[in-house]
Parts: sequence; C-alpha cells; structure tokens
Amino acid sequence: MVIIGIPTFGNKGLNEVINNRFGRCNSFTFVTIENNAIVEVKSVANNAQGAMGGAGIQAVQIIGNNGATEVIVGNLGPNAANSFNALNMTIFQSPGGNLTVKELIDLRLSDKLPVLKSANVAAHAGMGGGGGRGAGRGMGGGSQGRQF
Amino acid sequence: MFKLKPKVICVTGGKGGTGKTLVAVNLAVMFKNQGYKVLLIDGDVENPNTFLLLNAKLKNKTEVLYFLPKIIEEKCTMCGLCAENCETHALLHIKNSYPIPISTVCSGCKLCYKICPTNAIDPDSKVIGWTYTASAFNIDLMLGELKPTEARSAVIVKKLMGNLEYIIKTEPKKYDIIILDTAPGAHCDVEELISGADLVIPVTEPTKFGKLDLLRIIELINLLKKKYKVIVNRSSLLGYKEKFLRELEEKGIEILGDIPLDEEIVSSYCQGIPLMEETSKFDRNGVGYKSFEIIFDNLKKWGDFSK
Repeated sequence: MVIIGIPTFGNKGLNEVINNRFGRCNSFTFVTIENNAIVEVKSVANNAQGAMGGAGIQAVQIIGNNGATEVIVGNLGPNAANSFNALNMTIFQSPGGNLTVKELIDLRLSDKLPVLKSANVAAHAGMGGGGGRGAGRGMGGGSQGRQF
Repeated sequence: MFKLKPKVICVTGGKGGTGKTLVAVNLAVMFKNQGYKVLLIDGDVENPNTFLLLNAKLKNKTEVLYFLPKIIEEKCTMCGLCAENCETHALLHIKNSYPIPISTVCSGCKLCYKICPTNAIDPDSKVIGWTYTASAFNIDLMLGELKPTEARSAVIVKKLMGNLEYIIKTEPKKYDIIILDTAPGAHCDVEELISGADLVIPVTEPTKFGKLDLLRIIELINLLKKKYKVIVNRSSLLGYKEKFLRELEEKGIEILGDIPLDEEIVSSYCQGIPLMEETSKFDRNGVGYKSFEIIFDNLKKWGDFSK
C-alpha cells in the first residue's frame, strides 16, 4: 500500500486539478493505492496556506501526518524539497498543465512521472498572486513537459 | 591627556553606494598619515569590500557559529511541542517520529531547547559566517562576512564588536582611532555599529534617494542619542549642491563637508590605493583631495582626537 499526496484546490477527489503551488496550495488530495488500484481518496485542507513563513515545511508535515510516502508536485521550493528529502519521501514532478488527480495517478502507476530530487523554484515563489491558480511560474520543466 | 579607550567613528548613510567605504577608508588613512594607530572595521557583512579599496589580503578566517537544535533520540518522546512552537517552522515533525531540524530556516532562538520537557535538544551550532583580519598601508582591518542564505547579519557584526571590545580590554593602547564602516539601511546590524560609536558620519548624495535615506538614518542616530555630522558625496552632481545643502541646513542638519565628483577618486578606487594615502601619487591640488583635507580639518575640530 502506498499513499500519494497531491497539492490541489478543493475537495473534488479524483477530479481535482493539481495546484502547481505546493506550500501555499488550498488543499491536499491523498490517494491510497493497493495492487496498482485506487482504494481510497481523501481531501485535507492546507492550513499552512497563509503561513508567514515556513509554509513548505508545514505542508510537508501535513503530507507526512497523513501517511503519504510519495508526492506529485508542480512547483516545489527549497524548504519543502529539503523537508521531503529529510523524510526520504519520493517526489514526482507533474508534467505541467492542469492535469487532474486521476490523470496524475494514472501517469504515476504507468511509471511516466520523473522523480524530482530538489527544488525547482526559488523560496517564496508561491507567495502573492492573490491566491489564484498558479503563481505565474512556468509549470513542469522543459523536456519533462513533453513526456507524453 | 590620559585616554581610557580609543575614539570610535562610525561611517554610515542609509542609502547604498553613497561612498561610505570611500569615506571610511580615507578617514582611516588620514589619521594614519598623522601617526595615529588606526583600526578599520568593515561592518557591511553582506558585502564586505573595504579590503579591496586597501588592496589588502584577508587573513585569519574564523567561523561564526550560531545555535542549531540537535535532537537526542534516546530522550525524545516525539511529543512535537518543539515543532508546534517553532516560530520559523524549522522543526519538521511527523507524528510518531523524531523532529528534524531544517537548518536553513532556523533563526537560532533556542526556544525549542528551552521548552523541551525531556531535555532532548542539544545546543548544536551551524556556521553563519566568518570574520577576517587584514592589514595594509599601516592600517589594521577587521571584517565580517555573512554566509549567503543566512539572515542574521547583526550576529556577525556583534562578533566583530566583541572582538573590538576584547582588544580594547586587553591592549587598550593598541589603537587610537577605530573607524566603523556600516552596511546601507537602518537595520539592526547598522544599529549595533552606531551604538558603539562616539561620533557618527552619515554619507549621502544630493538626490531625492540620498535625502530620504539620510533622514531615515538620522532618525536612527537620534534614537541612539549619538552626535553626527553629514558628508555630502558627489556634491557637484547635477548642480544641486547649494539647494541640497540648504535643505539639510533648514532641517538643522550639520555638514562636515562635501566631496565633488573627481576622476582621481575613481582612479584610486580602481587601483586599490586610497586617495589620501601619503605615498600615493594623486594630485594634491585635486578637488577630491582638497575636499577630504577640509573634511579632516572639520572632523578634528569637532571631536577630541588627542593621542
């Protein structure tokens, strides 16, 4: 069994779209996988969203406290990346675009997501932007974005 | 006259690039030319560069350490109290596991160390910067460098001032004059240096930016109840000198002197030879040279610099 955490906007389960901000996303959708099949989906609000600082670290705590050992992210800052690495969690990079949780899980299960080893944006890249979708940063990265 | 401690002059200014380092270095040189034993401290620890103006080689690199929590796993009950209360969220705690310190975020406040109910936090440390010494043109130099990504510049400055205090205590006659060169801004690292000074010299330039930042730094100097006089650098810029000086006068701000634009100053900058250095080949009748002589005269009339 493996639990995968994905930063999202609300609580529409598998139909949620990935939120490319990590520490300051609105919610996390957790998907439990057993024998390559989805057995449970749940949403948890991200109460680190409005943190003054350290949102990434608190968000990683939420991921960890919900039993996840893998995440799929769009943008990831240095504190969050360091925290995931300290916990030996596997970080997968979303290929970009507004993919749904279902689409991302399918990509993960068919081993089509690249692993991210460190941050892909600077600290505080996800701040500001009025809380709208994305914070104006390019999503995914170059060649990774054309994986499929 | 018996002197207990050397005279400390702090060169600051609020705005960046106004010529603080230029003034600090040349004041140091002018005192040295007259036989004073001078120590110059570069307190701009985010961009220490005074040594470049003196062509000096840095020596005695010493680490500046700051608190970082270390979890003693045998004692830790995984209660999470430290992580819950950490202001900067520098402790990553997942239930039923040991908290993990994230060193880049830790502010070193020691709260975790103090509140841990089982004393499971060891006061470890991390390197946040370095101090150096150097020497050139018979002037001693002390400078600090903040490690990039670290935020606590005042800690490095405090370390420099602590070193100064130690020198004054152990070798009270080693220096007659201490010159402190600050970073731009009116932050706590600048405050630390101004606090330790007898006289403060804010360096500004005749622009709106210069004036605004000057008024800010004067606010800080007044809060610290220090005596100050202003140097207006690049005073010939755009021909605003008279108007600018008048505006300062109207606010009751005293002027120590002004430095017009001068190619010799730029040339001294590029060569790493201070303009006022007695062995230098700069024009003794140049506008820059003359202006520094006037500033030095005014300074000696203002403060008591008996050796």
